[in-house]
Amino acid sequence: MANIVTPFEDPSTRLSAGRFGMLIFIASLAMIFAASILGVMVVRLDDQGVWPPAGMPALPLTLFWSSMVLIASSGTQVLASRAAARGQGEALRRWMLVTFSLAVTFLVMQGWAWSELVDRGLDFSRHLYAWTFYFLTGLHAVHVLGGLIPMFFVTVRAARLGYTRENHRSVAYLAMYWHFLDVAWITLYLTLLWGVSSWSA
Amino acid sequence: MTTTAATQPHDSPPEPEVDNYLTYTRGFRSWALTLDHKRIGIMYLVSVLGSFLVGGIFALLVRTELLTPGATIPGVDENLYNQFFTLHGAIMVFLVIIPSIPAALGNFVLPIMLGAKDVAFPRLNLGSYYLWVIGAICAVVSLTVGGFDTGWTFYTPYSTTTTTGGVIPVVTGVFILGFSSIFTGMNFVVTIHKLRPPGMTWFKMPLLLWALYATALIQVLATPVLAITLLMLIVERVFQIGLFDPAMGGDPVLFQHFFWFYSHPAVYIMILPAMGIISEIISVHSHRHIFGYRFIAFSSVAIAIFSFLVWGHHMFTSGQSPLMNVVFSLITFSVAIPSGIKIFNWMATLYRGSISINTPMLYGLGFIFLFTIGGLTGLHLGTLNTDIHLHDTYFVVAHFHYVMMGSALIAMVGGLHHWWPKMFGRMYNERHGIIGFTLVFIGFNVTFFTQFMLGSHGMPRRYYDYPSEFQIYHVISTIGSYIMAAGFFWTLYLLVQSLFSGKIAPANPWGGRSLEWQCSSPPPHDNFKTTPSVGDCYDFSVVRWSEEEGGYVVDRGDDATSKPDH
Repeated sequence: MANIVTPFEDPSTRLSAGRFGMLIFIASLAMIFAASILGVMVVRLDDQGVWPPAGMPALPLTLFWSSMVLIASSGTQVLASRAAARGQGEALRRWMLVTFSLAVTFLVMQGWAWSELVDRGLDFSRHLYAWTFYFLTGLHAVHVLGGLIPMFFVTVRAARLGYTRENHRSVAYLAMYWHFLDVAWITLYLTLLWGVSSWSA
Repeated sequence: MTTTAATQPHDSPPEPEVDNYLTYTRGFRSWALTLDHKRIGIMYLVSVLGSFLVGGIFALLVRTELLTPGATIPGVDENLYNQFFTLHGAIMVFLVIIPSIPAALGNFVLPIMLGAKDVAFPRLNLGSYYLWVIGAICAVVSLTVGGFDTGWTFYTPYSTTTTTGGVIPVVTGVFILGFSSIFTGMNFVVTIHKLRPPGMTWFKMPLLLWALYATALIQVLATPVLAITLLMLIVERVFQIGLFDPAMGGDPVLFQHFFWFYSHPAVYIMILPAMGIISEIISVHSHRHIFGYRFIAFSSVAIAIFSFLVWGHHMFTSGQSPLMNVVFSLITFSVAIPSGIKIFNWMATLYRGSISINTPMLYGLGFIFLFTIGGLTGLHLGTLNTDIHLHDTYFVVAHFHYVMMGSALIAMVGGLHHWWPKMFGRMYNERHGIIGFTLVFIGFNVTFFTQFMLGSHGMPRRYYDYPSEFQIYHVISTIGSYIMAAGFFWTLYLLVQSLFSGKIAPANPWGGRSLEWQCSSPPPHDNFKTTPSVGDCYDFSVVRWSEEEGGYVVDRGDDATSKPDH
């Protein structure tokens, strides 16, 4: 055992390779959202008219409530991570189940907001206003969906009390990703609301 | 790490000298599902070289078509010609040059040079390779559904309206290739940060690792912008509305901004690792300590930072504001500083060195010559008033071929010769290698130097037809491309031939000091039996030729060259 073939991770460092990798991955994803937001802003700055344009519905209030749900899920994820770090399996199970439910609720509410706008005649191909809404929310929803899959597995494992105080890395990775999606959504939502004449319908 | 140490005796075949990564396990599955960075590197290498062949065939078709004004090859009309140069560009950029050094050579040498057992995330590494394969398949699919003629830049609004059917598949393919590149970059950044053995400090790392690190940062931060841009392009092509559509208040130049925000850094994704390879080759083959280590290391990082600030120099004629043009022009000029630092440091390394004129060194010297021409002609294009004249002419084509092919690809081929003995345990025939270099080098200059003249006389790029006064240049350029093709086929032959009849390679055929020369050729599955001891990887004073080893050995007890139980 004395012969270390190669030094993999130095356990004394605070930032593990896995966490560091997640950070870089998130930085990469942040560039995707940053570019999208920048693109929308450029088009908005070129546009001299009122926003939303005449005859277009304002964004539904559902989005405000879904934002609250997402923020809440980020909060319960913090509680879940804390429980995992302390080795409290029961609490971890509880908070992961709550987080997962809130995450699914968020996605359902986003779909609901979409259908409300479709009902009010906000057609994707009619105006860039519609395009920005559907593109930004769709882009975020895809990433939420991508997060729900690992969250499902983490929740199942937490429900079976499969995490220990020493090994709960997947909870930590999931939490990093989830908080990122939270911040990304708030930024996107504010971008959509930026300079609008009426902010809800 | 206890598990690796514990399983070591069980996994090792009985005779340690037979244990190398090529013979460690056998069969198709052991390659297809391997997590070994060396095998993944070899798989990338074979795939990239295959793509290089395809992209090269399209280049030869383009050059042959341009032999005479108007139609030359029977059956090739303007539209087919447009597809030829588009395919040549897209394949060479996205499938060949971007992955060639980081993913193929980098995967093979990075962990060994660092003294690590593998990259930080071996599964992700294999996943990156398969993403590359899927991306390549998408590009092939696009050919079967009508091809694409947008140029490799996919400029809107042409790309959203052209009737060629392969635009969406190929853009999807590039999107996927982007993620392959991002994950490779992520892996390299974490590997370099977290997997360094004791003693391997940042400033003891070989310069190739600094270059790959700087490259990885660009891959991670710039490639996502391309990904989202291409996604927007696909959406716009499908629904005929989007941010780039002026009919609805969108901005078509926005696409160019986004595209070059990635694609200019992408040029440095190509050139930085090439510069890293040159730092290794120049130092090892002139047996002299690299001059100005820290300057070379920091200039790599500086180039990476500059790369994000100069994209607008591709758009001087797109109608962006004159103030922005001036700013981009100035920042572009300042890229010359870190690039110049590297060139002068390499020259200073060569000065009074004991230079071995062998194939890798010739490619290294060729790089310095060609990169200097490529860099200096960049000044003409970065200058606003000359760029107005030279924009979209063959001058631009010649300039970026000097940088992307004459520099990046030449360095890749040089690096391939340099690490070939390490990869496969066989020496290629040195005389044959020199012949190959000579053909490639002469062919390259005949092809592309002529194009500087074409361009400055006003021949636009991407044209199928031209006035007969340009014909002499086109003929010379085409002849050059045939010489170059012969050189590359010859090189392929000599490398493959070495696998069957080459001399068995010693562990250290060139006298290198970096860690990959400490392990046997080919390296064992785990790279190192013991923790490698790290010295100054450019101190060649302790390296001496050993007749019984048939290669170089490192003197003094501070290096674990031939001592298994160090």
